[in-house]
Amino acid sequence: MINLRNISIQNKLVLIQVLTSVFVLAIFFTGFIMIDIKDYKERKVKSIQSIAKVLAANNVSTIQFQDNEAAKDILSELQNVAPDIVRAVITDTDGNTFAQFSKTKADSSWFDLGNKTFAFEGRHLYVTNPIVNAENELAGHVYIDCELSELEDMKSKKFGIAGISLVVALGCGFLIAFIIQTYVSKRLLFLVEKMKEASETNNYRLVIKDDGKDEIGILIKVYNDLMYQVNESQQRKDEFIGIASHELKTPLTSIKGYIELLNEMETRQPQQIFIQKTKESTAKLEHLIADLLDVSRINSGQLQLNIEEFKMDELIDESIDSISAGIRTDHTIIRNGTFNDLTVKGDRQRIEQVLINLLSNAVKYSPPRSDIFVSSTIKDEQLIVEIKDFGNGIPEEDKEKIFERFYRARNTSVHISGFGLGLYICSDIIKRHNGKIWVESGAKGSSFFFSLPTIKKSIPI
Amino acid sequence: MILLSFFAHKYALSQDEGGEASLKAAFIYNFTKYIEWEGADNSGDFIIGIVGSSSISGPLEKIAQTNNVKGRRILIRYYNSTDAIGFSHILFIPRNQSSSLPVILEKTAKGTLTVSEEPGYAKMGSAFNFIIKNDKLKFEANLNAIYAANVKVSSQLLKLAILID
Repeated sequence: MINLRNISIQNKLVLIQVLTSVFVLAIFFTGFIMIDIKDYKERKVKSIQSIAKVLAANNVSTIQFQDNEAAKDILSELQNVAPDIVRAVITDTDGNTFAQFSKTKADSSWFDLGNKTFAFEGRHLYVTNPIVNAENELAGHVYIDCELSELEDMKSKKFGIAGISLVVALGCGFLIAFIIQTYVSKRLLFLVEKMKEASETNNYRLVIKDDGKDEIGILIKVYNDLMYQVNESQQRKDEFIGIASHELKTPLTSIKGYIELLNEMETRQPQQIFIQKTKESTAKLEHLIADLLDVSRINSGQLQLNIEEFKMDELIDESIDSISAGIRTDHTIIRNGTFNDLTVKGDRQRIEQVLINLLSNAVKYSPPRSDIFVSSTIKDEQLIVEIKDFGNGIPEEDKEKIFERFYRARNTSVHISGFGLGLYICSDIIKRHNGKIWVESGAKGSSFFFSLPTIKKSIPI
Repeated sequence: MILLSFFAHKYALSQDEGGEASLKAAFIYNFTKYIEWEGADNSGDFIIGIVGSSSISGPLEKIAQTNNVKGRRILIRYYNSTDAIGFSHILFIPRNQSSSLPVILEKTAKGTLTVSEEPGYAKMGSAFNFIIKNDKLKFEANLNAIYAANVKVSSQLLKLAILID
C-alpha cells in the first residue's frame, strides 16, 4: 500500500485531478452506454414487434386458406426488411408450425417466452405476436428470433469512444493539474528553498513575498512572522555578545596591566609561578573575548579588512614560529612542499589569525609526539594552504557544521575548551577574501585547506 | 424451450372426398371475410347458391348453422336447373355439370361471385376456381370476372390466389 503522505503535493494534485476525471468520466460513460443500449433494445423491440404485428395481420388469410407456401413467401421477404431476423415461425392455434423461415439450420427448439411478448436471451431478441382474425378469434402465433448483431458493434464502438475520451481526459487532467500545481507546490517548494537558504546562511531577515490568500499564503505569512521573531532574538543575542565582550574586555585589560606590574615586582617563589599561571589564564580569557568580539563584529558587519600585499610564505613561517613557541607538548610543525614566494592581497593580520587558529587546532587535536605538516600550492590561480594533522579525524556529518557558529564536536574523547567560534571566524575571514575553506578528513587525521585568489584575481583595494 | 412440432403434411389435402369437400366449404365461407358485395342488397340474408348437387353441401350447411357473414344469416339455395338460378352472393358451380359454364354464367346476376371447381373454368369466366396443386387445395382468381361481378376482393385474399387473365 502506498503511503499517501509520502506522495508529493504536486503528485497528489495530479492524482486527485486525474482520478476525479477518470471516475466521473467512467460513471458518465457507463451511464450513457447503458442508456444507449437500453434505448437500442427498446427501439429493437418496437420495430420487431411491429414487424410481428404486420406478419400476424398478413397471415390471417394464409392460415384461413391453409396456404403455408404463401406464408413462407411472406416470411422470406423479412430478409429484405430486417436482415437481422434469423428465424421467423408461424404456428397455428395448436402450436404446430404452419410456416417457417430460417437463415440458419432449422431448429425445432425455441426460447420459451412464457406469458411475455418479448424476451432478450444472450444475443437474441425473441418476439411473439398472436394472429387474430377479423372476428377476434385466435388463429395462431408469429414468433421472431432477431439477432442483436448491431448491439455488439455498438458496444465496441461506444467503449472505444469512451476509451479514447478517457485517454484525452487523462491528458487534460495531467495538464490542468500541472498548471494548478504551480500555484500550490511551486510556492511550497519556493518556501522550502527560502527556509533552507535562511538555515544555511543564518540570514533570518529574508521576507518571502506571496500575494496568495490561501493556506499557503497563510503558511508563508506565519513563516515570515516566525522569522521576524527569530531575527529579533538573534539580534538580541548578537547585541548581548557585543555588549558582553566589550564589557568583559575593559576589566580584563586592567587585570592584565596589574598582573604585568606584579610580574615585574614579584621575584619570589612560588608567587612568581602563580603570577605566570594567572597570566596564562588571562591570555586564554583574552583570546576568548577576542573571539567573541570578532563574532560580534562579523554579525554587525563591522569586521573591516585592512588590505595590503604580503608574501604568504613569510606569513606561514611566522605563524609556525609563534605557535611553536607556545607549544608545551612535543609536536613538530613541519613546513612542507614548495615555496612559491607568492604575493597575495589581503588582511595580513586576519590571515595570520586564520593560520594560528588552524595550527593551534591541529596541535590541540593531535596525539602527542605527532607531526603537523603545513604546505602551500598554487592551483587554478588559487593559492591553497594545507594544514595536516594526524588526529582522530572529523566524522563525515560534522564536516560542514564545524564552520558554523558555536559548533562543538560532540563525540570527541578529548575535552577541548573554547566557544566553538574559531573556525566560524576563520571561515568568515576567508570568505571575505573571496576564498574558500574546507576540510578533508579520514581515520588518519584531517587536512584543513583554505584558498585565496592570487594577486590577479584578489579583491581590489 | 418449447418444442414446435413439424407436421409438414398436416396442411396437405387429405385424400378422401369428404375432406376436400369440407375444406372447399370452409374456403367459400372464408372468402366472405375478404369480399365486399358493393352492388348487391346487403340487408337480408347472405345467399350461397349451389348449381345442382355437390358433396360440399353437407359441410356448407353445417357452417351456415353456426356462422354468419357480418351478422347476416347464411342461406344455402340449390338450383337444379340453369333456369332456376336466382340471385345469390356466391354461386358454387360443382364439377360434372350437365350445363356448360357459359350457360350458367349467362344466368348469373350482377353482384354474384361465381366459384367453380373445374380446371380451366377461371379462364372461362368463373371468378374463383378451386384446383389441386401439389396435393393442396388452391384457388384461381379471374380479375375480370371479379370486376364484372361488382365485388371488392381484399388483396389479402388475392395474394393467395393464382391470378388468371
